[in-house]
Amino acid sequence: MQKMKKRKRNAKAGKSVKGGRGFGGTKSGGPRLPNSLLSQFPVLKPHNGGLGTDGNAGVDDEDINSDEGEIGGLDVYEYDEPMPEEESMKNRRYDHVDNFEYELPEKFEDSNVPSDDGEEEEEDYRGFKDIKRSSNSDVLSGNETEEEEDNARHDRMLQRITELPAEVFESRPQIRNVVSEAYLESEYNPTRDILDGSGHLTIQDLLNPIQGKPVYTEFRKRMQRLNKKSLTLQPPLPKVAQENLEREVAYARSKKDVTKWEPLVKRNREAPTIFFDEDINLGFSTVGAITSEFEPRTDFEKKMASLVHDSKVAEAHKEDGAKLLELNKISLEDVKDRQNRLAKMRSLLFRHEMKAKHIKKIKSKTFHRLLKKDKEKRTSIDVQMDPEAAKELAMKQEFKRAEERLRLKHKNNNKWATRILKRGLAIQDEQTQAAISEQLHQHALLTRKMNSMKDSSSGEDDKSSDEDDDDDDDNLDLGMKSDMASKLLTKAKEKTFEVMEDEDEMPKSGVFSLPFMTRSLAKKSEEARAEAKVALEEYDLALNQHDTDVPNNRNKGTSSGRRVFGASIKQPEEPSHVNNNIGRDSDDEDCEINKNVNVESARSVSLQKGVQIDIDQLNEEFDVGQDFESFDHLVRGNAPKTTYESAVFASGSWSGKKNPNVAGSTNRKPTGVAQHDSSFDNLKDVDDNDDPESGEEMVDGILSSSPKPDYELPSQADLIRMAFAGDDVEQEFEQEKIEVLNEENPEPEKTLSLPGWGQWTSLQEKYGLPSWITEEHENAKRRRDEALSKRKDAHLKNVIISEKINKKAENLHTKTLPFPYTSKEVFEQSIRVPIGPEYNPVTSIVALNRPEVVKTAGVIIKPIKFEEVNPHEKGSEQNLNSKRDTPKVKKNKPNNGKVIKATKTAKKKS
Amino acid sequence: MEDDKDSELISPPRVAKKDALDELDSKVKKYLRGSGADLEGLKDKKLRGQLAVREDLYGKSAKAAAKAEKWLMPSEEGYLEAEGLEKTWRIKQESIIQEVDILSSRKAFDMILPDLGPYTLDYTSNGRYMAVAGRKGHLAIIDMHSMDLIKEMQVRETVRDITFLHNELIFAAAQKKYPCIYNRDGVELHSLKEHGATLKLQFLRNHFLLASINKFGQLHYQDMTMGEMVANYRTGLGRCDVMQVNRWNAVVGLGHSCGKVTMWKPTSSAPLVKMLCHHGAITAMAFHPGGHLMATAGQERRIKLWDLRKFEVLHTYTGNAKSLEFSQKGLLAVGNGSSVQIWRDQSGDHKYSRYMSHSMVKGYQVQKVAFRAYEDVLSIGHSMGLSSILVPGSGEPNFDSWVANPFETGRQRREKEVHSLLDKLPPETIMLDPTSIGNVRPEKKKKEQPTKKESEAEMQAAIAAAKSAPLKNKTKGRNKPSKREKKKHEGIARVKRPFLDQQMKEQQQLLKKKQRISDDSQLPKSLRKFVPKLE
Repeated sequence: MQKMKKRKRNAKAGKSVKGGRGFGGTKSGGPRLPNSLLSQFPVLKPHNGGLGTDGNAGVDDEDINSDEGEIGGLDVYEYDEPMPEEESMKNRRYDHVDNFEYELPEKFEDSNVPSDDGEEEEEDYRGFKDIKRSSNSDVLSGNETEEEEDNARHDRMLQRITELPAEVFESRPQIRNVVSEAYLESEYNPTRDILDGSGHLTIQDLLNPIQGKPVYTEFRKRMQRLNKKSLTLQPPLPKVAQENLEREVAYARSKKDVTKWEPLVKRNREAPTIFFDEDINLGFSTVGAITSEFEPRTDFEKKMASLVHDSKVAEAHKEDGAKLLELNKISLEDVKDRQNRLAKMRSLLFRHEMKAKHIKKIKSKTFHRLLKKDKEKRTSIDVQMDPEAAKELAMKQEFKRAEERLRLKHKNNNKWATRILKRGLAIQDEQTQAAISEQLHQHALLTRKMNSMKDSSSGEDDKSSDEDDDDDDDNLDLGMKSDMASKLLTKAKEKTFEVMEDEDEMPKSGVFSLPFMTRSLAKKSEEARAEAKVALEEYDLALNQHDTDVPNNRNKGTSSGRRVFGASIKQPEEPSHVNNNIGRDSDDEDCEINKNVNVESARSVSLQKGVQIDIDQLNEEFDVGQDFESFDHLVRGNAPKTTYESAVFASGSWSGKKNPNVAGSTNRKPTGVAQHDSSFDNLKDVDDNDDPESGEEMVDGILSSSPKPDYELPSQADLIRMAFAGDDVEQEFEQEKIEVLNEENPEPEKTLSLPGWGQWTSLQEKYGLPSWITEEHENAKRRRDEALSKRKDAHLKNVIISEKINKKAENLHTKTLPFPYTSKEVFEQSIRVPIGPEYNPVTSIVALNRPEVVKTAGVIIKPIKFEEVNPHEKGSEQNLNSKRDTPKVKKNKPNNGKVIKATKTAKKKS
Repeated sequence: MEDDKDSELISPPRVAKKDALDELDSKVKKYLRGSGADLEGLKDKKLRGQLAVREDLYGKSAKAAAKAEKWLMPSEEGYLEAEGLEKTWRIKQESIIQEVDILSSRKAFDMILPDLGPYTLDYTSNGRYMAVAGRKGHLAIIDMHSMDLIKEMQVRETVRDITFLHNELIFAAAQKKYPCIYNRDGVELHSLKEHGATLKLQFLRNHFLLASINKFGQLHYQDMTMGEMVANYRTGLGRCDVMQVNRWNAVVGLGHSCGKVTMWKPTSSAPLVKMLCHHGAITAMAFHPGGHLMATAGQERRIKLWDLRKFEVLHTYTGNAKSLEFSQKGLLAVGNGSSVQIWRDQSGDHKYSRYMSHSMVKGYQVQKVAFRAYEDVLSIGHSMGLSSILVPGSGEPNFDSWVANPFETGRQRREKEVHSLLDKLPPETIMLDPTSIGNVRPEKKKKEQPTKKESEAEMQAAIAAAKSAPLKNKTKGRNKPSKREKKKHEGIARVKRPFLDQQMKEQQQLLKKKQRISDDSQLPKSLRKFVPKLE
């Protein structure tokens, strides 16, 4: 209400003041005047009240202030703040905002705020804005006289306005140094006294204004009480500490809460078996029960339910079917409609089918071509129009390419193509040829590298390789002769050479002549050269292969490998060298394959000529003679043996030249073998000599065995057996044991040095072996002794216990120690008692074999419930004879007529 | 003097409750099969708890079993008790027969079969049927309950041994050239020619293996279910005609003429144990059914008892024995010449002493003694036929029909046959200590050098792997068949190389060794340094 009033007034005054600014309720538009200034007008109050629109006694200071400001012309700080648009409520453009700011009650009387001294003011000012002060202080001192003059003028003005005697104005204290604040005082701009705490606002100050009011005494009492035990309020703890404390408390509480579960959980943990089958009521058990519980929820269900539970239908069902038919009425139109629809669909389908058949029957190629074109066009338009379709197409294309690269379907290795190629392309009709070429083209299209234009050289390479690949393919499909292919290959080679040569020329000037550039260039060229070399090798290989493949398939051997070699000789030195190497490599590689053929051939040769040809020798021949390169290839090409042989003997020079050599080798070889054999024989002899025990033993046995004194007429066989039994069985046994031990842990070799070593001088012999040798020997001996002492029969003189581990039996043992166990003994002791029904009384089998969790299927495991458990109680008793333990007893009584009962308990089967 | 049938009447009354408790304790101990682990030493609390529960269960089960034993095994074995100066071994069979009931007295008999040579015999595991084989080809099966002769035949060939297979329907006889298997009707089912001229036969009941030792000291194991030859090992110790199976672990013991006893299992070509027991040839041996005791007799007039856990002699007695046999209750029958002695472990510390003795007509030569299971009867096969004597306290008084049922019906027999076939154990379960099955695998020694065969096999495997290794699909030029072939070969060569290197090295070492030996022995020292070194 007050606000409204004020607004009115403001409107009248031609000012718009934003209400409710600051806590002090400074509703004036202008800056808040310092209290010192305000206190200058105590007398004017009533008068001002008269000036105000409402002659209310409780007019705010602010009003006065503002008025005063207007009147006094002290509107230095006045500024005109337009009323915010929100508050103007113009056109209801803004949401109505309630003003929740505190508004002073109507009857509120402002307290007498003690005025600040001028000194303080100044100090305050100084403290607040140091810089300001330094700039203003001299101004102040300079202006002192002027200010006095001002004051006098001011007084005069007041006199004139108020028409009061001048004494009134004279009597007020002269405050000389009135310095107003540079800034608006607010919570952001506290005054100096607030900042250094000297000018505290006491409770008393606040209480004073309400003195005499009925609430005053109460307030005062309360204040007194408070003052008695006045405590300074500590600032709240930092948030982190607070939270810590909170958590601590919460933890303590929840701990206490949780610990009550401890015995329960402990009991469950310690229990060997947990039972979950207490509550086995599963609810529904039949379909009927489930359906009876069904409640329709959705509309459809409800509709169905209404139909199903329709009393009429139910009744009809109950009685007989006749009424059902009645209920099942369909209108004539519906049936007709449906029939029509079906007929239409059928005719459409039929027409479509016929059309398709017709189109299929059309043999005209042009028609199909046009059709295809049309289709393509449509798709292409689609692609152009629709980015989605384009994307899809691209994906499809990519997929196709990938598939092709994977499957190589269009290469000539499918059944059809191979068959045709095998028959010979030349024989085929044009269409087939075209088809094959088409296929290859497809392959080329699909497998072509997409982005291979990284740098010119490699791109060129790729291109060239592509080209030659294509050429290869073309050759194949067009049935071109091998010459063409070889020509192409040689051409490719030449090209690469050219490229290599080109690369050699280094730029002599410009950026490329800079040292690092030249280096990098050199590097690049090196790489390129390497690549080119590889390519060359491949060409050569291809050439070789081509040469070998082709002539074998053809009857006339006009274009043999030699011709190609001749061509390659024309090439510069280096490549030919490479070529040779390759040739050799391939020979080596093929050695194994060749061997079989060679063996056969060799055999045949020997049969024919009666000369033994060593296989290795033959191979050597192949390696050495370049003349036989082609020959070798012949072998590789799986040429029939007869042709091979004929080829061998056709080249008379070879047989003529090599025969003596071969003969020599045969002469040499067998003797070598014989020597070898004889050396082996020698070794064997040594071996035989080496084990003298058997012989000796026998002799010994014969010599030493003497008949025992107390034997009774043994049979002949027994006599002989006894005679050979031997006397010194113990010694023999010891020997045997040592042998067995040595077999398992061989005795370290004697410390023999190499013959000649350390035996040059007598001094060396005197000192004997070097210490490290003896040491090593000692170590080995010690190790052996240790191993032997670990044996089970170490201290048993007359026993040998085999230490061999049976691999098969290993499966009968546990591979590793199972988890919770840490010692083998404990584990083994824990499994020592069998738990099967054969070994235990019926009463304990179930308890022994009870699983950790007993639960019938379908039972819902409910969360644990709290119950009082005595923590000091011994773990749950395993009662053997509990209700659960009643097992099915096998009825298997032996009806033997004897009273004795058999027990199933703990009997070892024997 | 008393025997098993009236033992219940005069059995010492259970004077104090304490005695009964002690007895129960001892029985419980038996069923507990040793002590549990030391739980205090366990650090793992959870495991400790679990084991404690387990042990508790075991204890309860054992107690229940021990208590049930009282009712399920009511009979106790009898024994001979001497009064005053009487000695048990002086008591004659005639006086025993007079004292016992009629049924029992019928079990002692003499069968004179003078023509067909010394007789050997075998019982089925339930002791009901006896197979008899005369040296000169006389084979017979007798039902010992009714004393019916089920089948008798003459094979007209030397028969050295006879043994029942898993039941009385089939038996094997070691004949002149090879053992043959007959059924109860005397039909020859198989002739096991691979075994050769067998001297002894033994059947391992739980493994269905027929073990035989032939004239040449070859030990054969043949599976009697599928017929395959499981193992064939040469002992290398010459002719051997002493063979016994340790029924506890199915290890076959052989006694050799050199005084050695070897123990075999079918999965190892070397004997498990080879021990020198006697200085003379071994004439007989026997295993205690408990498995830890062995008795051997040597030709040097010694009979020794061995502890098979430590392989040490327990006691040595003087005397000869042609045949040794332990009874179910641990009596030891020693047959020698025309007399049979029965020894008994009086105090339980394996100190055997004379318990009974029985002498036949002078001139009879004992060939084989065999106790009848579940009866107090000892049968003796000798040169003039068979005789059977009563030995109180030899047989197990209570039988377990799950193990062996002397009163088996045909149906039960069939049932049992199927069950035993289903429970057949594989040959590798035969080991010295069968209780170690299931224990943690013994630590492997560090791998020795692989044998030649192994390394060969390894190489083959490596080559095969290299051959079948998939080749990468290379780019165009490099994917030619020739290249691929080349790569394959390279791979194979690479794989082969280390093996070949190893082989070469070994060969060279061998050569070097030989060379050195020959060098050392032949050349004078001064010339040795001029010998060209290998490599």
